[in-house]
Amino acid sequence: MASNEKNPMTNFNLYKYYISFNHDVQLSYKGPIDEHILSVISKYIEVILRKNPIASRKIFKIFIELAQNISYYSAEKNILTNDKEIGSGTIVLGELDEFYTFTTGNMVRDKDIIPIIEKCEYINSLDRDALRKYKREQRKKPSGPKGGAHIGLIQVALTSANPLDVEITSIDDEFSFFSIAVKVLKEI
Amino acid sequence: MEDLIIEGSHKNYFIPSVNFNSKTGICELSGESFLEDTVEFYKPLISWLEQYIDGVKNPIAFIIKLTYFNTSTSRCILDLLNILKDYEDENGEVVVNWHYDENDSDMEEDIEDYIIDTGLDINLIPF
Repeated sequence: MASNEKNPMTNFNLYKYYISFNHDVQLSYKGPIDEHILSVISKYIEVILRKNPIASRKIFKIFIELAQNISYYSAEKNILTNDKEIGSGTIVLGELDEFYTFTTGNMVRDKDIIPIIEKCEYINSLDRDALRKYKREQRKKPSGPKGGAHIGLIQVALTSANPLDVEITSIDDEFSFFSIAVKVLKEI
Repeated sequence: MEDLIIEGSHKNYFIPSVNFNSKTGICELSGESFLEDTVEFYKPLISWLEQYIDGVKNPIAFIIKLTYFNTSTSRCILDLLNILKDYEDENGEVVVNWHYDENDSDMEEDIEDYIIDTGLDINLIPF
């Protein structure tokens, strides 16, 4: 880079970034999500939630499904070792008085938004028994290209026992940012 | 017929332990299941069962002691259980015992869903 060119990163204030997270945030990550990251974060979840094993197991299950979705389906890809493309995204684990929140976000192509939103709205419209029935129906279908079972989001809703809180932020003509937040009660 | 034995591990991915015994018909799947290629991992388990059912034709006691499995594994478990149900429908002798942590109500629901899905009598054994 020529010395007279302004480096855009010098406008980035790390302290502002740091304090933009309040003390409720237990963990945050942004970047490619491969099996090493999955492993490190899942161990960390186990450690910070040790005092609450039931919630910890739930957060772990939710984490694996949502993180794998990012890894497979994020529209933002990084090439790591072996020229393998890995999806990038962001993960935040928060802790409030009554519950934990687990949020993930990633870029999606605008054309893929409607089916995701419709699926989440449908999941949120079902009670627990109907949701279990929907999971059984979907599981019987042939597996997806990545061996997926089409039931990750359904399982996330069942595990959290709360609605999926979904938000879309439009970025440009091609991409949007998709975020999904779930709650897990501390006392179950 | 040879036994099928896979030693489980808990590293970046979680490989379940597999011990399918062709002499006793006791087939155990335990540990945690979260794999890089789930379908590829479960293929030999499915073919082992099919081969046992076609050739050995003895009773099967299928023991599941999984403490965690992801959703892609959940499809493969369904495939295994459907094979057992078909065997039972052809007068094969099948017992399925599923051991689970009594504090894990999500797991209990999962097992109930497999009972509804397959029509197998799965014995729920809390520990």
